[in-house]
Amino acid sequence: MSHDRKRYGDTTLGNQEPSANEPAWLNELRASGREVHGRLGIPTPRHEDWKYTPLREVAETDWSPAEPGPALFEEPLPEFDSGAVRIVMVNGRLDRNLSNPGPLPGGLRIASIRDEIHSGNDAVLRSTLGRTGPKPTQTFDRQIVPDEHTFAALNDTLFEDGLVVYVAEGAKVDPLIEIVHVSHGGPEPSLVVPRILIVAEAGSRCKLVETYVTRGNGPSLTVPVTEVVVRTGADVEHVRLQDEDAGALHIANWQTAQESGSTYTSFNVCFGGRLARVDQGIWIGGAGTRTRLDGVVVANGDQHMDNHTRLDHAFPSGESFEIYKQIADDRAHVVFNGKIFVHQDAQKTDAKQTNQALLLAPGAVVDSKPQLEIFADDVKCTHGATVGQLEDLPLFYLRSRGMPRNRAEAVLVYAFAADVLEEITIEPVRKALEARLFEKLAVASR
Amino acid sequence: MLEIRDLHASVTEDGREILKGLNLRAQAGEVHAIMGPNGSGKSTLANVIAGRETYEVTQGDVLLDGESLVELDPEERAHKGVFLAFQYPVEIPGVSNTYFLRASVNALREARGEPEMGSAEFLKMMREKVKLLGLSDDMLQRSVNEGFSGGEKKRNEIFQMAVLEPRLCVLDETDSGLDIDALQVVANGVNALRTPDRAFVIVTHYQRLLNFIVPDFVHVLMNGRIVRSGGRELALELENQGYGWLEAEVAAGSQA
Repeated sequence: MSHDRKRYGDTTLGNQEPSANEPAWLNELRASGREVHGRLGIPTPRHEDWKYTPLREVAETDWSPAEPGPALFEEPLPEFDSGAVRIVMVNGRLDRNLSNPGPLPGGLRIASIRDEIHSGNDAVLRSTLGRTGPKPTQTFDRQIVPDEHTFAALNDTLFEDGLVVYVAEGAKVDPLIEIVHVSHGGPEPSLVVPRILIVAEAGSRCKLVETYVTRGNGPSLTVPVTEVVVRTGADVEHVRLQDEDAGALHIANWQTAQESGSTYTSFNVCFGGRLARVDQGIWIGGAGTRTRLDGVVVANGDQHMDNHTRLDHAFPSGESFEIYKQIADDRAHVVFNGKIFVHQDAQKTDAKQTNQALLLAPGAVVDSKPQLEIFADDVKCTHGATVGQLEDLPLFYLRSRGMPRNRAEAVLVYAFAADVLEEITIEPVRKALEARLFEKLAVASR
Repeated sequence: MLEIRDLHASVTEDGREILKGLNLRAQAGEVHAIMGPNGSGKSTLANVIAGRETYEVTQGDVLLDGESLVELDPEERAHKGVFLAFQYPVEIPGVSNTYFLRASVNALREARGEPEMGSAEFLKMMREKVKLLGLSDDMLQRSVNEGFSGGEKKRNEIFQMAVLEPRLCVLDETDSGLDIDALQVVANGVNALRTPDRAFVIVTHYQRLLNFIVPDFVHVLMNGRIVRSGGRELALELENQGYGWLEAEVAAGSQA
C-alpha cells in the first residue's frame, strides 16, 4: 500500500475485510458493497450522475471511521414534539441515554441493528436490508435497471450499528417517531455511516421525522442509508431534515419500496451542510399506490445541494406527486435531477412532477433536469420546471401595503418554500420547519 | 388631499403613453368615481397613484397634501396613507392573512415612528374589523387570497383597507367579476369606512357599483384624459346612453 496523497478519480473510502462473526446474509451484503464501491470509487464529474457534485474534497481527505461521540451535547438537539417516541443516534450508533422512547405504543418495535444481529433476531434485517431498491424490468426493446450507488455500497460495507423501526401488521402508531442523528466530528476527519431501516407491515400506519445535525468542530462526512418498506395498504408519512453545520459533508441514499395499495408521503428538507447530496428512490412494487415526494431546498453562502430522485412506477394505477422547491442565494449551487420511469406494466399511472427554483443572487446557480421515461401507453404524466426570480406583481402587492422591498422579498421567498411545508400533516414538525425556514432565510432581520 | 396635475404616464417597457395630461382634485371626505371605456387608462391611473413600477410618469405630478408622490417607492406611499385595492388581488400561498396584515401594520407603524403592535392588541383590532365588515374569522387563518373566490378576494382587499386605515383609498375595478350580493358586501365595507378625513377614488367601468357607493363626483376618463366631470347624475347618464355619445362629443370638440 502506498501512502501517497489520494487522487480524485482513483479513490475508494474504506476497505473492510469480511468478519467471521457476522451472519452470512450480512457478509453477502458487505461483499456486494465492496464490489460496487471498489468498482465505482468516488465518482468524478465525468460520471453523468455526478456531473455537478464536487467530490474532490471527499476523495482527497483521509477519513477515519467516527469514534463514539460524547455522552452529552452542550447545544441542545432538535426536538419537535415532547410526546414523540424519540430516538437519538450518534455517529451511526443508537444512543440509549439520549434517546427517550417512552412507553412504546402497541405494535411498534425499535431496536439497534447491532443488537438484532448479535441476538440472532435478524429475520427482518435479513429479508429487507439492501433489498428495497428497484428491480429490473423488461420493456419491448430494453431493460430498465436499478442505478448503482457507490456511497450506499460504502455504507453496506462499513455500518456497525443503526436503527430498525418495525411497525407490526395493522398497528396504528399515533405518536410521532422522531429520529435524530448527530454526526460528531473528532480532531481527525470523521466518516459517519448511519443506517436506518423502517418496516411498516400490512395495514399499519406511522409518522416519522428523521433529522441530521452535526456537533463538534471536526470535519465530518456523513453517508447515511435509510430504507423504508411500506407493505400492502400501509400508510407512512416521512419527513427528512438535513440541517447539518455549514462545514459538513453529507451524501445520503434514501430508498423506499411500496407494496400495493400503500401510501407513502415524503418530504426532503435540505437546509444544512456545505456539500449535501440526497439520492431518493421509490420503487412502486404493487398496484394502486399513492406517493408523494416533495423537496424544500434552501442554500446560501457557498452551499452545494444536490437532490436526485428516481421513482419507478412498475405496477398499474399508481398516483404520484412530486414537487421540489429550491432557493439559491449568494454563491450557492442547487441541483435537481428527477427521474420517473413508468414501466411497461404500469398502466393507468398518474404521475406529476414539478420543480421550481428561485435564484436570489447573480452568483447563485441552479441546474435542473427532469427525466421522464414512459413505456406504458395508457398513463397520465406531466412535468414542469421553472427557474426564476421573484415576480414583480406580488412584490408590488406587498410593498403597496407598506412592507419595505427587502422585507417583501423575504416574505415571498419564505412563502415560495413554505407552500410545500404546508403539506406536512405532522403539525409540530410543520411548525418547527416553518420557523427554521424563517430563520434560515433571515426573514426577520431583513 | 389628492391633487393630480397634467399627469402623463407611459408603460415603462415600451414607452407607450397611456395617461395624457390628467387633472384631478379630491378633498378629504369625498368619494370620486372614475369611469370610462376599456383601455381609457383607468387602471393605469390607479396603479400610478400607488407607485407600480411598470408605469413611468413622464410629465406632471401626483400630490398628497401638497407633497409629490412621484419619486416615492410604493411602500413609502403606503406609509403616507395611500392604499390600492387591486383589480386582481395576488395569491400568496404559504403566508397567512394574519401574518401578512400584522407585518403590514407594523411596517406602517415603524415608518411612522410608532411602537410595534403586540399580538394581543393586533388580534383585538382584527376582531373589531371583522365585525365591522361582517366577515368570517376563518379568512384570517388562510393563506393570502389562496383559493379565494372572486368575491372573497375583493372582500379581503376591503378588509386590508379597514385594518391599515389609509387616508387615500384607490379602488381599481373592485366591482369586476362580482355578483350582486358580493357587490353589496364590498360596498357596505367601503361605506363603513367613509369618514370625513378619508378620500376615495373609485375606478369602475359600470355604474352599478355607484348605486351602492354614492359618489360625490363622477369623472369620465377617455384616451388618458378626464373629458367630463359632474355629479352622480353623470354616471346615470352613462349607464343609460353608454360612452358613445361622449366619445362623439369629445371627437367633435377636439376637431372644433
